[in-house]
Amino acid sequence: MSGKVKIMERRGKDLYERVYLIEVFKGMATTFGHFLRNFLDNSKLLVRHYPEQKPEITARWRGRHRLTKHEDGSMKCVACFMCQTNCPAKCIMIEAGERTDGRTEKMPVRFDIDLLECIYCGYCVEACPMDAIRMDTGIFSVTGNERESFVMKLEDLLATPGAFSEEEYKKGGA
Amino acid sequence: MFADGLFMLFAVLAVLGAAGLVLFRHPMNGAMSFVITLISLAGLYALLSAKLIFALQLIVYAGAIMSLIVFIIMFLNIQPEDLPKEEGKLLNILGALIIVAPIGYFLVKIVNRLPNATTELLGNNFGGVKPVGLLLFKDWLVPFEIVSILLLVSLMGALLLAGKKKEVSK
Amino acid sequence: MSQLDILLIVSRVCFGAFVPLCFIAVCVWMERRGAAFFQDRSGPNRANICGFRAGGLVQNLADAVKLITKEDIIPGHLKHKFYFVLAPCIVFCIAIASFAAIPFADVMKIGGKEYIMQTIPTDLGILWFLALAGFGVYGIILAGWSSHNKYGVLGGLRAAAQVISYEIPMGLAIVSALIVYGTVNLTGIAQFQGQLLFGFIPMWGVVLQPLGAIIFIVAAFAEANRTPFDLAEGESELVAGFHVEYSSMKFGMFFMGEYVAMFTNAAIIVTLYFGGFQIPWLATETLVAYARPLTVLMMLAVPACGWIFCLWMSKNNRSHYAHESDYRDREVAVYTKIVWGIVAAIDIMLFVYLIAASGGDADRVLVMFLQVFTFLIKTTMMCFVYVWVRWTLPRFRYDQLQRLGWQTLLPLSLLNIFITSAVVVALS
Repeated sequence: MSGKVKIMERRGKDLYERVYLIEVFKGMATTFGHFLRNFLDNSKLLVRHYPEQKPEITARWRGRHRLTKHEDGSMKCVACFMCQTNCPAKCIMIEAGERTDGRTEKMPVRFDIDLLECIYCGYCVEACPMDAIRMDTGIFSVTGNERESFVMKLEDLLATPGAFSEEEYKKGGA
Repeated sequence: MFADGLFMLFAVLAVLGAAGLVLFRHPMNGAMSFVITLISLAGLYALLSAKLIFALQLIVYAGAIMSLIVFIIMFLNIQPEDLPKEEGKLLNILGALIIVAPIGYFLVKIVNRLPNATTELLGNNFGGVKPVGLLLFKDWLVPFEIVSILLLVSLMGALLLAGKKKEVSK
Repeated sequence: MSQLDILLIVSRVCFGAFVPLCFIAVCVWMERRGAAFFQDRSGPNRANICGFRAGGLVQNLADAVKLITKEDIIPGHLKHKFYFVLAPCIVFCIAIASFAAIPFADVMKIGGKEYIMQTIPTDLGILWFLALAGFGVYGIILAGWSSHNKYGVLGGLRAAAQVISYEIPMGLAIVSALIVYGTVNLTGIAQFQGQLLFGFIPMWGVVLQPLGAIIFIVAAFAEANRTPFDLAEGESELVAGFHVEYSSMKFGMFFMGEYVAMFTNAAIIVTLYFGGFQIPWLATETLVAYARPLTVLMMLAVPACGWIFCLWMSKNNRSHYAHESDYRDREVAVYTKIVWGIVAAIDIMLFVYLIAASGGDADRVLVMFLQVFTFLIKTTMMCFVYVWVRWTLPRFRYDQLQRLGWQTLLPLSLLNIFITSAVVVALS
């Protein structure tokens, strides 16, 4: 190991520290300082008022999935099953069908992602040869009232827009 | 009237608790019923206007000693299969009753010859901390100190016994 | 028994029963908001009723609803279900009952009669508290043991051993305090502390018995199973300790019992060492003698306090982010009206008293209210110290805890008894 070694002095041996009460009072003074500052002016709290103030999401953040489209609006996915094969949580369920827009032979007729099973690892995005599935929607809060609402259908995945421009997404390292 | 009712209640509870201590199989049940006995005894002391004894009974017996015993029962974690088999339990109890019967007879006789007493509370700070303390430390100082030395000796003995065991195990 | 007697008995019992219960809400709220402010967070500030959040107090209501409506589970494998149900009741009832002997105002003399302002007008005082403190252990032991759970048993063992061993330094600290006060009666103790030392220092227990006060406070923290001595429910190693198997309102009883115990302990500490209901430098007779000028002073002080509170609220009850219409503004407006309404009501009552009833028995009643208020303020501050310590100090290790109890606090409290009795004998 070439790292710099710093030997920490062991505390708590001399009488001053073994009396313990003095150190306790010092600690209590520190915490009370924080309390008083926040009590008199709570604008200095180190908090984000969440539902009103959203956190900033970077382009690398793996949020909810979406399926991308070509410029003409046809979907990029070719139902190659790479993402489904790669998925460690087995949350993707694809059914392939014949392609009607003439780009290639196959397209998915069913593309379900069970968000309750998904572990948001991003392997599907990395596996996709067509850059068809992305996790750049910036949606981090997934809620619902019943289990069925957590299964994302093909239409939902296509309808969700990306939260970032193409340059930002590329810069993000994907 | 009210005090008489309380007396009956505490007396019945005390006897029931003591019976429970003997009859219950599981030690925790026995200990808890003994706690009831101790608390009702404290209530009886309170009916006799012995305030300090009431408090001491609660603090020392019901509070400290019994909680230690319950603590040890919990510590040992006794399972039903650890308990000894009591096959002749009924016979034993019957035999004990026959042996104790004459003493009980004497007791009943003694109680019957006691003068009548009321359960009215005595005023004038009877049984408070100060009168009892004065009594203990003035009139009964020597017996009090002897008892405390006795306790000290038993404490040392317990320590000695506990210490010896440790050396042997080494 | 006159009507006044009955009224006073009823109000005393109500005070003894409801004030600890109300202070559960206050303590829980103080714990949460205090913890948040100690850690630069904001604490519960979302739960509301029609947009009114009462500074986070509504969160307690939501908690209560949650605890009551949850499923009440009694695990099927338990052999001693009776003890399992009994344990939380013991903890809760003992905590409430130990408040009963604490005086919240001086002895009130009305119409030639004296009324002791304790829930139970007994002169057992501190002995009552000690007796019930011993009983609290049963609840913990039975809960841990009857849960039939390793964590539960371990937590119960730790808690019981801790409470039993800290009762000794606590009792010895009380002994040295009793040597100074010369009585076990808590009203007498509080009256003693109304005197002045050298004519200008209030004769509070903490001045006369600084070492005893520290020992007692430390032991009281351990008795209440509060941090830094809460290793009975050390989350990282024992999940929740003795109440790990409890759910719903049975857990709620433990939870409330803990906060009632905290309140009661704070009240005992205040009564023993911080003057109880005594207002510093103003003993009961002085208060009665100067009731009129004091009333005028209060009539000025109450609006001043209300004004400061409103200023503080309008400064701090704002949304610190971009917003269109701040619901907090509406809240502040309503609260300001309520505060000024209360201030006006108090002032009108004081004015009526000043015009119509001052002098005689009404003075005594006014002084009683003042002392109750002082007692509650002091107790609340002591509860805050509990919260403050909890969010400052880390938890003790078990061996450190026992070493502190037996090797430090016990000899120190014995030494304190010797010194105190020597000084008391030398002075008398």
